[in-house]
Amino acid sequence: MDAYQIFDESIPFEEKAINIFEFQKEHNSIYGRFCKALGIQDPSKVDEIPLLPIQAFKEKEIVTAQEKELSSSYQVFQSSGTSGMSRSRHIVLDTALYKESIFRGFDYFYDSGEFVIWAYTPEYNLNPASSLIWMLNALIERENSGLSKFLELNRPLSQEKINEVAKSKRRLMLFGAAFGLLDLLEISKVELPANTIIMETGGMKTYRREISKSELHQILSNGFGIPVTNIHSEYGMTELLSQAYSQGSEWFKSVPWMKVSIRDPQNPMREVEIGEEGLIGVMDLANLYSCSFILTGDKGIMNGEGKFNVLGRWNPENLRGCNFLIDKD
Amino acid sequence: MDYFQSHIEKIAKATREWLQPDNQSLKQAIEQTVDEGLFSFEDIKFQIRALKQKIDTGQVEEWARRTGLSDQQNAKGHKVFCLHAGNLPLVGFQDSLGTILSGADYFGKLSNKDPYLLESYLKKLIESDLENGIQHSTDINAFEDLQADKVLFAGSEHSVNPVKEKLFALKTAGDATEFVIRTAKFSVAYLDNEEPATLRDMIEAVFRYGGRGCRSVAVIVSPFSLSKVKCHFTDYVEEFWLKNPQHKKPKENLVYQFAFNKAIERDQAWLDDFLVQETEEFPEIECTLNWVKGDYQKLKELKERFGKAVQTIYRTGKHITGLETEFLSTAQTPDLWWQPDGTPVITL
Repeated sequence: MDAYQIFDESIPFEEKAINIFEFQKEHNSIYGRFCKALGIQDPSKVDEIPLLPIQAFKEKEIVTAQEKELSSSYQVFQSSGTSGMSRSRHIVLDTALYKESIFRGFDYFYDSGEFVIWAYTPEYNLNPASSLIWMLNALIERENSGLSKFLELNRPLSQEKINEVAKSKRRLMLFGAAFGLLDLLEISKVELPANTIIMETGGMKTYRREISKSELHQILSNGFGIPVTNIHSEYGMTELLSQAYSQGSEWFKSVPWMKVSIRDPQNPMREVEIGEEGLIGVMDLANLYSCSFILTGDKGIMNGEGKFNVLGRWNPENLRGCNFLIDKD
Repeated sequence: MDYFQSHIEKIAKATREWLQPDNQSLKQAIEQTVDEGLFSFEDIKFQIRALKQKIDTGQVEEWARRTGLSDQQNAKGHKVFCLHAGNLPLVGFQDSLGTILSGADYFGKLSNKDPYLLESYLKKLIESDLENGIQHSTDINAFEDLQADKVLFAGSEHSVNPVKEKLFALKTAGDATEFVIRTAKFSVAYLDNEEPATLRDMIEAVFRYGGRGCRSVAVIVSPFSLSKVKCHFTDYVEEFWLKNPQHKKPKENLVYQFAFNKAIERDQAWLDDFLVQETEEFPEIECTLNWVKGDYQKLKELKERFGKAVQTIYRTGKHITGLETEFLSTAQTPDLWWQPDGTPVITL
């Protein structure tokens, strides 16, 4: 199939997903073995497609490719992690497709011509294979005012530069992980224009303390002097080539070529009821050349509008041994 | 005879009587438990036989002696609230006995997953004319306004706060309450030989109670690879299951894990009701046994990595320098005074 068909909204998601399933089952030996062991060969509905546990990206190279595609150049993205911790590796055979997914995804939620993009990314800078840095770099390079940039680390925001953005008649969008944004707030004595968007990219477990997302957003809103509805979040990860965004609430919406569902941890083939907690499952069609059907290790919940909330990492320690739980015991 | 000596003897006598085969109350509790499908008859029988063996050899008296219980040193007047788990039959027995033996007033929230067996024991103690108060219920609201001096419960680090909040809201606990929280989830064994007796001990340690106890082995570290011992090992598992059919069947995620292992070409053994897999990962899925090929150094590394989730390290041979270990054969038959999470049940 033409890779760019994944963005074609005239083709139903289900049709595209099943085509990609067939392609990946055939040309990705790891996913093929997974489906065979589960006895799933010809799903007629998208819900019947099995989701590969994300851990696979730590164990193996997850590549879907025919001979000719294997010989082309590729890029490897790697998740960050402390020493001794195994890290995910995502081999991206078609970086143009990745870039297209980033741009189309961003444009689905925002008018890119309206924004100057700043990114404050301590820690991530230390990982040369960071997909977040690559994504931000792509967004910054695309923006043509010359004002978009990665901010220098450990330097306060400059009021002068902020004014410059305001003068350009564009709005500022400031990307950063939770801990980085908090650090930046601490060292900067500035007020951002009220129409600024702060885009938090995760990293809720700071090296100093763990705080809730709503607490973080309130601190950023108060500190930078912008409405809390202008604190947005991006949900993405090394293993995914598409992103979901939340715009002023805790609920994320995904792009049309990415479908999120909440799965029963005891039976990942089953979607849980709306409002019930489970593992976040993602079908990201942009992962055409790796694996599009992924069971993440994140805990989430879905609302009646098809938006999802990320509740942190799924904690496996509740699943085994003596464990008194008030509502169950 | 001083007061506390008589207290200890009354408890030992009551416990022995409760464990007699002709005890109708216990018999009825076993029947109800089995009829309602809570635990298998074989697992209950195993647990009761293990307790009887300990009680008959004088371990109630020995536990009191080891703790130094006396008229001068005891927990009389203290209110101890126990939130019992229900993952295996009579899992709350040790906490109940220990609390009552110490002289403290016992308040037990029994698990809905094991409501009859422990109740039968507590009723026997209530009839035994002990001075300390004994109250129990499966409804946590029955303990409103208790203001306990001490709370014992098993949970994970993540379940601690909701439990505490509930207890504070009910005033079952207050600011001065001491919380003893157990977070251990599983045990690890080092297997250094393939002797039949060792393998039988290992199978018991892994598969008894469907591997649901924190003393159950969920990780084996061995110089042998899984592929080398797989066939031999599974023969013994079949032998065990013939006598002790697994009561609770695994969830669908076990098949999912099997498929994942196939996908990444991880060595594994599918045993229908259990999955043995060669991996160093945290053993998060029920009915799995993680097999790690490695030496003492690997064992120490895993203990460090899994942290407080590890209850006990078992050995099958000689002592392991630098590690506190127990013999594998004691995994499912510990002494009454074994220490969950390394903390004594009775503290004065």
